[in-house]
Amino acid sequence: MTSRRRRALLGTVLALPLLALVELALHLWFAARPPAFDDWRALAAPVAELRQDGDLCVVAPPWAEPLARAALGDRSSRCATWPAATARRTARPSRSPSSASGPPTWRPGARRRAASRKFLLRRLENPAPTPVVFDFTEHVRPPLVSVGQVTPDAEPDAPPRSLDCAFEERAAVLAGGLGGHPTFPPQRFVCSRKNPFYNVSTTVVAAGEGFLPRRCIWAPPPPAGRGELRIRFSGVPLGQVIQGHSGMYWILERMRAGAEVTLVARVDGEEVGRVTHLDGQGWAPFSFPLGAHAGAERADVELAVSSPDPSARHFCFEADSR
Amino acid sequence: MRPARRLDPIDRVIALVLGVGYVLLLLSTVKDLGYARDEGFYFDAADAYGRWFSDLWRDAGAAMAGRDRPWSVNREHPALIKSLFALCHLWLQKDAHLFALEGTSYRFPAMVLAGAGLSLVYTWGARVRGRSAGIAAALLLGAMPRFFYQSHLACFDIPIVTLWLACAYCWWRAVSGGGAAWVPLTGLAFGLALDTKHNSWFLPFALLTHAALLEARDRLPWRRPEAEAEQTAQRELLGTRRRRMLGALLAMATLGPLVFWALWPWLWSRFVFARLAEYAAFHLGHEYYNMEFFGRTYWEPPMPLGYAWVMTAATVPAITLALAVSGMGLSLRAPLGRVRGWWRARASQIRNALPRARATDDPGGATLLWAIGLGISYAAWLSPKTPIFGGTKHWMTAYPFLCLFAGLAFGELVRRARVLLARWWPRIAPRASAMRRLARGPLPEMALAAAVMAAPITETVRSHPWGLSSYTPLVGGAAGAATLGLNRTFWGYTTGAVVEWLNREAPRGAKVYVHDTSWPAWQMLREEGRLRRDIEGAGSLQGADLALYHHEQHMAGQEYQAWVAFGTTQPAHVAGLDGVPVIWIYRPAAAR
Repeated sequence: MTSRRRRALLGTVLALPLLALVELALHLWFAARPPAFDDWRALAAPVAELRQDGDLCVVAPPWAEPLARAALGDRSSRCATWPAATARRTARPSRSPSSASGPPTWRPGARRRAASRKFLLRRLENPAPTPVVFDFTEHVRPPLVSVGQVTPDAEPDAPPRSLDCAFEERAAVLAGGLGGHPTFPPQRFVCSRKNPFYNVSTTVVAAGEGFLPRRCIWAPPPPAGRGELRIRFSGVPLGQVIQGHSGMYWILERMRAGAEVTLVARVDGEEVGRVTHLDGQGWAPFSFPLGAHAGAERADVELAVSSPDPSARHFCFEADSR
Repeated sequence: MRPARRLDPIDRVIALVLGVGYVLLLLSTVKDLGYARDEGFYFDAADAYGRWFSDLWRDAGAAMAGRDRPWSVNREHPALIKSLFALCHLWLQKDAHLFALEGTSYRFPAMVLAGAGLSLVYTWGARVRGRSAGIAAALLLGAMPRFFYQSHLACFDIPIVTLWLACAYCWWRAVSGGGAAWVPLTGLAFGLALDTKHNSWFLPFALLTHAALLEARDRLPWRRPEAEAEQTAQRELLGTRRRRMLGALLAMATLGPLVFWALWPWLWSRFVFARLAEYAAFHLGHEYYNMEFFGRTYWEPPMPLGYAWVMTAATVPAITLALAVSGMGLSLRAPLGRVRGWWRARASQIRNALPRARATDDPGGATLLWAIGLGISYAAWLSPKTPIFGGTKHWMTAYPFLCLFAGLAFGELVRRARVLLARWWPRIAPRASAMRRLARGPLPEMALAAAVMAAPITETVRSHPWGLSSYTPLVGGAAGAATLGLNRTFWGYTTGAVVEWLNREAPRGAKVYVHDTSWPAWQMLREEGRLRRDIEGAGSLQGADLALYHHEQHMAGQEYQAWVAFGTTQPAHVAGLDGVPVIWIYRPAAAR
């Protein structure tokens, strides 16, 4: 056997077992790399030290977020995904420095290793936070808010008919279950006793193709397909714009078979903007400049929802003024 | 390719040990595994069929008259395997109380078929390439994490793997010089496969392709012998093979449908053709379920064309794939060499230089059949209209063939190692006769097997009971796959991994929102005592004391429902594989 042949033979005999052993080593390394579930508990104290009021918490990689929530408790309920433009700072548990980088414009602050160096905690500062003047999503309750349906009468000259939706503090929680509607919390404006689906409340929906959680105002268009569902906020402060996002449960929207839904914003009776949500747009942004109403200390804001066909319109939106 | 070797009693013992050993392994690990969504439906179907079998024993006439109702349950799938679930449950559990868990009695037939699959892979591999090739092929199949997971289940995916393979094996034995009995056995195996799952519909295409390619192969110039006597022998051989092929195809066309019909009482009706059409229509126009792939949930065509290939690479141990690719290369080497030789001889017009293959060389075209089996099993995923919701299980019929190629490469690896040791060892240590003896003995085989099997066995053992969350190092393991956005779990079976926590933490009479766990699967956990009997399942969150959430991208809304209903985003318990959450449980904020 020539030495060349022998080398080739040796190569083939060794290559596959070597590959197998490399695979074994890599398997064990990848398995041991993420922190164990119990390791996450050790994060509570260092995160509490690092964190300040108003901080958002962002977890990398995103799939580890339930572990952060389990370890840090409901104080971490402001764990979010980017962008977090309104936050001044973020406390960010992360598994490795490479995955801990936030938006490039955010300034890195304090950083520390925690729990046997398995975690890297970083504090990032937003260099240009946009303060929210009023968050509509977080104030859906009386006396600030009232809800009603306004339907034009069949007679052209007759005044429109209106229906008030009563607020209930302790209604029964309703959840859609597998493939169903989002949960309607106990505190909600009930617009129909027969149709519990027709209510206004703050909930969380899986909107957009990524099925990410969106805290929003549940506002289905009126069931008859005529008129508007109006959500009135009385005497609220305003910034320069009303902005937010709208969408619905992606499983419904992705079929692109539903009717459009229109959201209209009025300030002191004057329309300042409208957006029409079409199926497939996902969690779509909108922004209404406030013009002469910008900076008002107290204004009445009406957000109205309508659709020519309300079938399976799980419409939800979040809005604030900044 | 060498002609197939005959098996001796030791081979039969090895085949038996492999099969029985695998069944025992499955039985010893089944208690950790919850019930998959589909299993729940098959429990219900098996119970309906079981009642009918009992009625048949008591009053055959009445049972025959009322057969339509029980056999209409879950009629979208044929009856054979569910009938085995039913009979096993009736005889081995209700009568003999053989299993510790009720559910295992339904699962047992599929486990036995998984073991039989390994035995068959050994048998085929050993016949074609020798004992070490056969053992390696069988072990590599058993040590695939997804195959191991599926082998536990009362489903049809592993049974069809074995019966598909069995039909192909019978065909090969029929056309490669086995006894004439293999001809009707091919038809019988096809009928059993037909009555197991619709993957069997591809078998005739595979075997017809094999027949056509064998015919074409033996018309190649280098397979035509020069000598008169050899030509006569070849004509006889090919004539016999042709008759066998026709006979086997005829058996498949007659015996196959007959067995299929005979074992499925739902078809014992004057509406048999309408019912067959209904069955076919269900699968040809199957609904598209959701499946995440690289962070996107696919739910309608076009499906990603790379799905089957990427998921195979991401879930089958890399060494198994590397060996399989090497095996395919090896099996191509001889035919390609002949093509090259023939081309050269033709160019130089030296007729006598034509490389010859003996007529008896691989008359059954074993590796050709393996390649066809592999290709046909994946062929459906060349179309963007083929659903991908089953993860890897739908093309699992390819895996035995993949492993047979891998075994072939392993056999060659052992051969080369022996050559190397025989020629090299004396130079290194001329006087070490004991070592030389070891080198001739089983040492090289065992050392190579240990090296090659270490990763697949470790991956498989560590994947349990999270089989569908397991990924190979090629994508960074479970964590890497989660980061890439590959599906983390489906079928709701991981409820079995949290029963201990539920038993410990759930208040007396607690209601648990079961999410993706099917009702029969949940009920089975309670009935067999793995879950406290006072813990009730709930289909909605209102009034629930605890909520399960099995993570799938398109089901994320279920988690958000729990947040709002329970007033918390903090899971009370998280469980999963290698630091990756797969299932978590919520409890109302007020109950903390």
